[in-house]
Amino acid sequence: MANERLRALEEVEKEIATILQCAGNIVLELSKDKHNASLLDRQLVQFQGSVNRVESELSGQIRYLTQVATGQPHEGSTYSARKDCQMALNRAEYAKVKLGELGRTCEVMLEQQPPDW
Amino acid sequence: MATQRVLPQSKESLLQNYNKRLKDDIRSILDNFTEIVKTAKIEDETQVSRATQAEQDHYEMHVRAANIVRAGESLMKLVSDLKQFLILNDFPSVNDAISLQNQQLRSLQDECDKKLTSLRDEIAIDLFELEEEYYSSSYSQWDSTDLPLCEAYRRRDSWASPGSSCSSTQGDREDVEGPPSQETNSQHHLNGHGTSSIEKP
Repeated sequence: MANERLRALEEVEKEIATILQCAGNIVLELSKDKHNASLLDRQLVQFQGSVNRVESELSGQIRYLTQVATGQPHEGSTYSARKDCQMALNRAEYAKVKLGELGRTCEVMLEQQPPDW
Repeated sequence: MATQRVLPQSKESLLQNYNKRLKDDIRSILDNFTEIVKTAKIEDETQVSRATQAEQDHYEMHVRAANIVRAGESLMKLVSDLKQFLILNDFPSVNDAISLQNQQLRSLQDECDKKLTSLRDEIAIDLFELEEEYYSSSYSQWDSTDLPLCEAYRRRDSWASPGSSCSSTQGDREDVEGPPSQETNSQHHLNGHGTSSIEKP
């Protein structure tokens, strides 16, 4: 859910860049002797659409934050679960080390023992 | 209709400031762009010469274009501030992220412990058989007072039934407690707190 809102804000940033791009294209087209009316119309529609989308999206985000913000710091954490998981992984690693030692000991004993013919 | 929330003054004023910045920047972009398009219109009659008017229009367009760019950058800064505010104060999504992370970590821990437990059970079975084989062979150096694990288990099972006439001497009890305590120590060692390996007497 948090990622969706952050991605929406990243889309808003792209829309702002589109606004400036469209404004520049329109002014560039107006500077020419012969204007391309269809291009001007397309750019203008895109410009207005982007402005409206940016305003509505940012207003929505601010309205949502007004509803959920409490002013208090968040005190949740994943420390205990992370610590328990880390200890479980340590247990597994320790068992692996001990089994490795046991395996090496068995190999050494088998090498030292003369074969029974 | 949104419910009225009593926010701390700093948060409320911050959000109002965000709203004001948004409105001002959007208004600035639209007004300046409109004025640029109006200025682009060529007028036949002007109060000053054409060259002067052209120079004035040129300068005005420059300033208005710079205003549009400034408003765009201010909007980008507003989006950045909103992202930061969202990360810090959006408690529903923070709670969801924390619970999801906890769930993943706990499932990993349970899987790890389950595998370790099954490994322990398999090794215990193999150890039981190996000890039985070793202590019944001619290579073992144990004396009659030192009980192997298999014998200790057999005696413990016979003690479990009441009125059994199993050995009750102190020496035997110590020997019986020796191998089971080694197994108990092995269980403790699985938790990673042991400092030495299990050594056979």
